[in-house]
Amino acid sequence: MNKLRFQRSQLCIPYGLFLVCFVFAPLIVIIYYAFTDGEGQLTLENLISFFSSPNTIGTLAYSLGIAVATTCCCLLLAYPIAYILARSSFKHKAVILMVFVMPMWINFTLRITALKEILTVIEGNLAYHPFLNTLIGMTYDFLPFMILPIYTTLEKLDNSLLEAAADLGADTVWTFLKVTFPLSVPGIISGIVMVFLPSMTNYVVLDMLYNSTYIMGSLIGAYFSAYDWHSGSMIALILLIIILVFTMFTNRYADEDAGSSRGGVIGS
Amino acid sequence: MKKIGSGLRRRVWLTASAVCAFSLLWLWKPVQTVCASEEPVILRVCNWEEYIDLGEWDDEEAITLDDGTVIFGEKPLYEEFEDWYKETYGKTVRVEYSCFGTNEDLYNQLNLGDTYDLVCPSEYMIMKLMAEDKLLPYSDHFYMESDENNFYINNVSPYIKKTLETNEINGESWSKYAAGYMWGITGVLYNPALVSADEAATWEIFGNPKFNRQVTLKDNVRDSYFAALGILKADELTDEKFVHSADYHERLADMMNDVSPETIVQAQELLDDLMDNLYSLETDSGKADMITGKIVANYQWSGDAVYAMDQADADGFELKFAVPKESTNLWFDGWVMLKSGINDSVERQHAAEAFVNFLSRTDNAVRNMYYIGYTSSIAGNDNDDTVYEYMNWCYGASEEDGDIMEYPVGYFFSGDNRDKDYILQASSRQTGRQLYSQYPPQEVMDRTAVMRYFDADANKAINQMWIDVRCFDINDVPMGIRIALLTAMLFIIWALYKKSLSKNS
Repeated sequence: MNKLRFQRSQLCIPYGLFLVCFVFAPLIVIIYYAFTDGEGQLTLENLISFFSSPNTIGTLAYSLGIAVATTCCCLLLAYPIAYILARSSFKHKAVILMVFVMPMWINFTLRITALKEILTVIEGNLAYHPFLNTLIGMTYDFLPFMILPIYTTLEKLDNSLLEAAADLGADTVWTFLKVTFPLSVPGIISGIVMVFLPSMTNYVVLDMLYNSTYIMGSLIGAYFSAYDWHSGSMIALILLIIILVFTMFTNRYADEDAGSSRGGVIGS
Repeated sequence: MKKIGSGLRRRVWLTASAVCAFSLLWLWKPVQTVCASEEPVILRVCNWEEYIDLGEWDDEEAITLDDGTVIFGEKPLYEEFEDWYKETYGKTVRVEYSCFGTNEDLYNQLNLGDTYDLVCPSEYMIMKLMAEDKLLPYSDHFYMESDENNFYINNVSPYIKKTLETNEINGESWSKYAAGYMWGITGVLYNPALVSADEAATWEIFGNPKFNRQVTLKDNVRDSYFAALGILKADELTDEKFVHSADYHERLADMMNDVSPETIVQAQELLDDLMDNLYSLETDSGKADMITGKIVANYQWSGDAVYAMDQADADGFELKFAVPKESTNLWFDGWVMLKSGINDSVERQHAAEAFVNFLSRTDNAVRNMYYIGYTSSIAGNDNDDTVYEYMNWCYGASEEDGDIMEYPVGYFFSGDNRDKDYILQASSRQTGRQLYSQYPPQEVMDRTAVMRYFDADANKAINQMWIDVRCFDINDVPMGIRIALLTAMLFIIWALYKKSLSKNS
């Protein structure tokens, strides 16, 4: 029994297998479909038609619009809350934090269904403001993902830095702008990644709030159910590249700003 | 430290071997049960979700019909089939029952290599599978009326039988490959307090500005396209001369299956306009939104309309169902055998045909209707009136209940609408209600059209048309704003890039 030994690297094998079966293999299939046509011939037509159709470009723009707007809303709502919470001297901060995280314990389709009813009471008829409703729904859904990372970075902020700033004559606003905010950037980036990427494709919220306009996720689904695997795969691939580029930027930015001390961002 | 390490290692190994042992056991279990009894026939059935009676009824749910028959669902029908097959044919069959979500999902599953013996797609998917030579025709024995266990051929409604026989693809009628299961029509479910019957009985209600943002269409291209055709061709379809022409049915079917490029373009423009008048597109939420009053009318399948009306009745207000005067879509789901699954096995084919027959036994058809809420293709025969009695149990009325109307349904039960045996005494309040949607009157059935499967090009064109309707059109955004946004985006990327460069150096 004692002779059985394995190296630490062997612990990666289960995950490695998972990665190969469920990440790499499907990816290869997607790439194959994206660059072939119905007869299995290599073609670039899917790529060209993506960029030449006003509808796909429109959908991309609409998805980006929703994602940017959601991220901005989340950030504007989350930062003050996270800041107040992290800097407060209240003893049981964890309890208050829990109040913000608690909605995440409830299944999100349930939450959106409830939101639908609340919005109907407020607006009367949901159909007139599909974009606004989607924005509210998405923000509601993703807000905790923005609060948590920002709170964590602000919480860990070294108080002596703030004291030093004050000693050197900076007032509260100046301290915030020159010390607190720059040091919380990794948390912000982390939050942006966690909100921006999923909100680009999360079409369940749109469906449930009666927004009939396609976003990237639903467009891929529409092509797949019309048996057009090729166009669908190409859109998926382009989406993947957009996400990849986005993650590369944010990773770099976050790492540099944190002086490489925190590996804050994990690309999803 | 070392001790802890080796202890941990041992524990890891123990856990790993336990996991292995369990998974081996799990793999072994089905193998063992197969070996234990004499080789059972495995029948792989794939059906819509919630589309078969699953039994386990409460005692008070038992239905006692006027002729004394008691209908009660004890076990799921596919489990009862196993018992029945053993009793009747002395052989063991095991049903592997699974479900699919949409016709397209089923088709994709089949293409990805899932094997099933018996599936239940809708008419247009049956056509597609037929055209692709994937289906196995039913055996001659299946159509022999002399065998009393051939419940399907003995009990199927003459109306459904005729429809299946008269519709052909590549010169072969559907009835050779498909056995009808459930059927229905499409129409408009509406709130009579806010919408008049005349306003509802036309597809044009979806463009009616009076109900701006208070009507919904279906979130699939076939249903929405049908409604669009109904609006586009409304004048022609309601023209008296056309309605009374000798070849009305053929011409109606052709018109409602028009996929010429010009028509598709017109339909797209129309649907684009309709989108501004709709509350939303929906698949399932429309029923609830009707009941909660968010909308006043929605495109609905007759079975779901019955369900919504029942729910509304329970809540104490009224919903009604109207069938547009232009035309309505007759749809049905049918059981078909797949060549890839049956794979020339005589035993499996026999079991598959027996399964269809078992579901076509009148008491089982009633159980399914009670559970699913749709209308079964099964009508019974001269000696077995269970289905008609069930209809009477649901909708029959007597003088004490107030106004009575005569509601002939002979077209469905015996093929002759004047048949005295099939004139139901129903409450006159049933006009435009559950009975009307479950068994529409003959004059409604006269204007039904079956929507066919379109060939690959036409299919691609209408799918693309639908995607175009649904997508956000970048041309709606003024050029100036587009350029501004693009510049802003490029600037941010450039700034980020610059910043990361300067940090690196």
